[in-house]
Amino acid sequence: MEYLLDLIWSAVLLGCTYTLVAIGFSLFFGVMDVVVFCCGDIAIFGAFSILASYTILNSLGIMTAWPLLLVILLLLLIGIIFCMALGLLTHRFSIKPFEKSSALMPLLSTIALGTVIREVIGLMFMPATNGLADVVAGENAIHVVSGRNPQSFPSLLSLGGSTDTRNIIIVAVTVVILLLLFFFLNKTKMGLSMQAISQNKELSLMTGINVSRSIVITFVIGGVVLAISGFLLGNYQTIMSFDNGSMFGIKGFSAAVVGGLRNTWGAILGGMLLAFVEVMVSGYVPNGSAYASIIAFVVVVVFIIFKPEGIIGEKTVEKV
Amino acid sequence: MFKNSKWFLVTVVALIAVALLFTGCNQQTGETDEEGGNAASVVKIGFFAPITGGDAAEGTAARNAFQMAIDEANASGEYPYTIELIIIDDQGTDSVAVAGANQVVADPDVVAASGFWNSGPAAAASAVFKEAEIPLLIWGAIRDDLTNADNYPYITRSAPTASQENSASAAVVLDDLGYTDWFIVSDASDYGQGNLEVFTKELTDRGLTALGSEVVQEDATDFSAVVAKIKNSGAKAVYCGSTVEIASLLKLQLYEAGVTDILFAGISGMKTPDFLKIGAEAAEGALVVSPGVDLESTDAGRAFTEAYNNAGYSEPIGAYTPYAYEAALILLNALSACGDAPTPEAMVDAIINSETTGIFGTTTFDEIGQTTNVATYLNVVQDGQWMNYVNSEYANGTRSFGGK
Repeated sequence: MEYLLDLIWSAVLLGCTYTLVAIGFSLFFGVMDVVVFCCGDIAIFGAFSILASYTILNSLGIMTAWPLLLVILLLLLIGIIFCMALGLLTHRFSIKPFEKSSALMPLLSTIALGTVIREVIGLMFMPATNGLADVVAGENAIHVVSGRNPQSFPSLLSLGGSTDTRNIIIVAVTVVILLLLFFFLNKTKMGLSMQAISQNKELSLMTGINVSRSIVITFVIGGVVLAISGFLLGNYQTIMSFDNGSMFGIKGFSAAVVGGLRNTWGAILGGMLLAFVEVMVSGYVPNGSAYASIIAFVVVVVFIIFKPEGIIGEKTVEKV
Repeated sequence: MFKNSKWFLVTVVALIAVALLFTGCNQQTGETDEEGGNAASVVKIGFFAPITGGDAAEGTAARNAFQMAIDEANASGEYPYTIELIIIDDQGTDSVAVAGANQVVADPDVVAASGFWNSGPAAAASAVFKEAEIPLLIWGAIRDDLTNADNYPYITRSAPTASQENSASAAVVLDDLGYTDWFIVSDASDYGQGNLEVFTKELTDRGLTALGSEVVQEDATDFSAVVAKIKNSGAKAVYCGSTVEIASLLKLQLYEAGVTDILFAGISGMKTPDFLKIGAEAAEGALVVSPGVDLESTDAGRAFTEAYNNAGYSEPIGAYTPYAYEAALILLNALSACGDAPTPEAMVDAIINSETTGIFGTTTFDEIGQTTNVATYLNVVQDGQWMNYVNSEYANGTRSFGGK
């Protein structure tokens, strides 16, 4: 029983990391009908910007001088700003130019952008972080070794205590983000506008909804969610690589597809289902770790074939 | 601006070009590599290592050591030509290694190559070198079958094999320390599979069977299910047959799950400074076999350490850094035997018949190109640092590994 509970808890934690990225996919797809394939890379970009900021704050001695909670909030704010900026740049240069084109085009464009983001992290993380640390802290500068080496991510959410504290915070933060998102999407004018665009963009335009502004706000909110997602993943893994975004994004996208690409609740269900499949296969099948990802992706393919609208997505019928 | 597909295609191609520009920056040229050199006065050697990626710590230090030996040789004036390096960052990836190997063998000035820390890339590139009949001396990849009768005499190796390393490790953890309840974790790479087979054989030879084993994907980062499985298996010891990225995460996640009363033993691929990034407490007690001898225990080792540190490299010496240096010495020795105009053909014979005294003693090669100079020793993490096991508090009984 204890073994099963261990596995369930592991699956919930893993599911949280998948869910937030899946929500990013759902938000963008819901409002723009576009798969922004670099969501995972944007999240990892946020994590690395937080890591760079942490190194600089550490060089300045702020990590020990300021209350931990304040530092965490400051780091999160920095990560959010970077992710929002990257999200808006993604929209401006990788999606907007293809508004009138086939949906395949922004998909290809964001896949290529994901590669660019990964390589920029790998190439620029070390010189940018070390250069900035030298400028602001001089002789006290703390340096990172290389952007392509695995980086140690500070487990700030342990709050100086055990990893149990960190894990509970990860789940709690995920739940709070989901509730806030639910409130925003269902109880605010902007959220309702976004849902309206998601359902019928042309009609939304006719009713006076500012679609362009809604799309920009979607990227701002998506940036916030992805930054928090990257931060939680960093705290959970504690070791991060510049190319983590690739697999992280694929898992998040798969979760969104399984749950229902337009549906936020579907993203949660999809993320959890994928995580549970992976963990339970690893846990109960002999030598199951080797097959966990394969079986998880088989589940995705089965959903695409038999329930393409996802677990709680709505079936759409196109009249001709 | 993007009203038609032409502009879309232009943009996509431009984005891909930018991406390839970044990913394609995998070739570096050694300090001695100068454009426009006279072909008669230049001899080139290819060098392969994972200079970026998860294994970069080991690869970069090896590159430094190899370069150091070549620079010393050029400065010595003993060679009537300039020795240039073509340094290829194989990124620990088969396809990149093969592309690099094709690039190296296509250069008419190349007479030999040395390389590889990862067994997969070494195996993949070996075929290219064998076909081109250019000798490849492996300095760091340990899968047993990389040197074999088919590849001989073109492929040789100066480092010990996985069997030789695991045998030394098994003698301590199975025979001396007496652990019998094992759980094996390896990765799906050639390196991981080789270690899984070899360590399983060590257990079988002693009449033991592992309580469980897991093969994890090379890009896996979440091992919570594996940790739960280890916990549930009742294992007293974990053998990790993988490289530093997976080994460090597994050790960390075991620690975080409270699985600390257990021996964590592994193979040389995890003995890099990167393993210590998980923190002193999480890394504590990790026991790993390393090739060669402890550099601090011999004059030659201390001299190498001093020379490396004086050269000002920022990357610390790793388990295979001395082997990269020794590989350079072996190739330099072979070059000396080939006279003023070495050729790949002459180098093949010169390498297999060479007798080179380096940091770890004298290296010669057996009938399949494997070094006859085999030495290993154990390291353990104590207070956040790798140290020689025999000098540690674990060896004198002050600390214990757990699981006993």
